[in-house]
Amino acid sequence: MDMIHKLTIAVLVLLTAVTLAMLVQHQVSTQRLPGTAANRKVDLKKSYELIIAKNAEIYGDVVELSQQKQFSPAMEKLQEIIAVHPENSMSSVYLAQLQYNQGQIAAAIHSYRIAVDSEPDYVDKKTPLFIGDKIMALITEARGKLKREKKLKPNDKAIDLALEDVYYLQRRIAGGCE
Amino acid sequence: MTRLKLPDIAIVTGAALGVGAVLLTAFGNPANSGICISCFLENLAGALQFQDNLRMSYIRPELTGFLLGSFFMALKSKRFNVTGGSSPVIRFFLGFFIIIGCAVFIGCPIKMVQRLAAGDLTAIAALLGMMFGVWLGAKYIRAGVFLDREKNLPKINGYILPLIGVLLLIFLILKPSFILQGETGPAAQHAPLLVSLSIGLVIGGLAQRSGLCITGGFRNFFLVRETTLLYGIVTFFISAILLSLITGQFHLGLNGQPASHMGHGWTFLAMTLVGLASVIIDGCPFRQVIKAGQGDVDAGITCFGMVTGAAVVITWLLRSTSAGPSFNGKIAVLTGLIFCLVVILSYRKIPGKR
Repeated sequence: MDMIHKLTIAVLVLLTAVTLAMLVQHQVSTQRLPGTAANRKVDLKKSYELIIAKNAEIYGDVVELSQQKQFSPAMEKLQEIIAVHPENSMSSVYLAQLQYNQGQIAAAIHSYRIAVDSEPDYVDKKTPLFIGDKIMALITEARGKLKREKKLKPNDKAIDLALEDVYYLQRRIAGGCE
Repeated sequence: MTRLKLPDIAIVTGAALGVGAVLLTAFGNPANSGICISCFLENLAGALQFQDNLRMSYIRPELTGFLLGSFFMALKSKRFNVTGGSSPVIRFFLGFFIIIGCAVFIGCPIKMVQRLAAGDLTAIAALLGMMFGVWLGAKYIRAGVFLDREKNLPKINGYILPLIGVLLLIFLILKPSFILQGETGPAAQHAPLLVSLSIGLVIGGLAQRSGLCITGGFRNFFLVRETTLLYGIVTFFISAILLSLITGQFHLGLNGQPASHMGHGWTFLAMTLVGLASVIIDGCPFRQVIKAGQGDVDAGITCFGMVTGAAVVITWLLRSTSAGPSFNGKIAVLTGLIFCLVVILSYRKIPGKR
């Protein structure tokens, strides 16, 4: 081993040590800063709490009217909210629930599909927004009805579309890497 | 202690894959995705910020396990041969298109077997497509298509990929701010680190010894009626189906299967692309990772192509969803098939011609 080789190894060891020291020092000093993994979890929890509180405030009247089984006024109130907050995917969830309560099963399933497409957390068991079990209960009930209707009206495209929505939601709720 | 012979080690690897895949799902990995190289690479691309879907961002320890398991086994058994230089750009793009094919089906060949073993009948189209692609590839091999021969390279080339594996593991443990980890969606669904890593290491080591490869098993059968690897695949399927039944993960049917769609024609074509491209580069995505660990620099280049593909399938919306394949995905599959055929024509050595 000549001098150049020895010197190169020495510099290599030094550089490695300095890099490692810098990394460790940086890791320790940034542990409590926003943006680190531990804090990201806390931030996410807080953001969910905020979303839930905000939704409770926005949709309070709709929920109350629905509980009183006043579905038409609830629907009118919901349409007003949609006009003000068109971006809020929770509107599709309440719309689905109201449509279901008014017997519009195919429309309810489609609204759930729109809701799930705009907010995947609705079918994510690990988030507080999860409503997969509610959707599953509805589509399980609807699937039987739709299949019976399909036998009676085999050429009805609306039933085909509703069944497509049912199977899509089933796949989404089943999970997987999507 | 008696040494395991080759047929036995392929079967042991198959059993380990089946048990490992189902156990990983039971421990927290996404449904039917206990082991999926394409999904894992999409997650890795997200964690490294090559794509921006936080729900698909996580460094899967299994991937590192496969790489390092293969590396350590190759070192131990003195099979760590550093080779490379065989059409690197072609291999990069074939790796890229393989992941596109996987993303249109939603899963690599390993996941395809796992999906079948969990009762997902939509994966039958994928199996048929992959078998057709491999059969086609075998026909082309017989017709004189093969990439140029690799050369021996300095040892350092072979250490790069295992070192990247170690680095990823460090990133996963230290969680520096530039590494993303999703707290919702598939990224949040994972088995405990030590479980994932241990299963990855064991399977990686066994796969290095046995050479188990999903497309390779079918290729050997179509080409020379050799069944060693095919027995490994059958064992993988049987062990996965048994454990799926025991753990309650078996749901037979076409509808309601996790991360699946009903675009069977596109699934067939996508997996034809995976089968054909895998035969040209000698191995499915899983095999490429294992070969990269044992010093095959060409496989390492393919892995870089696969990571690039994994990022692109998300950012360019090539990936299928439960609603079905996207237009972009369909075009990408066709482009991939065109690329494969152009490569095949370019590399064909016609007998008697110079």
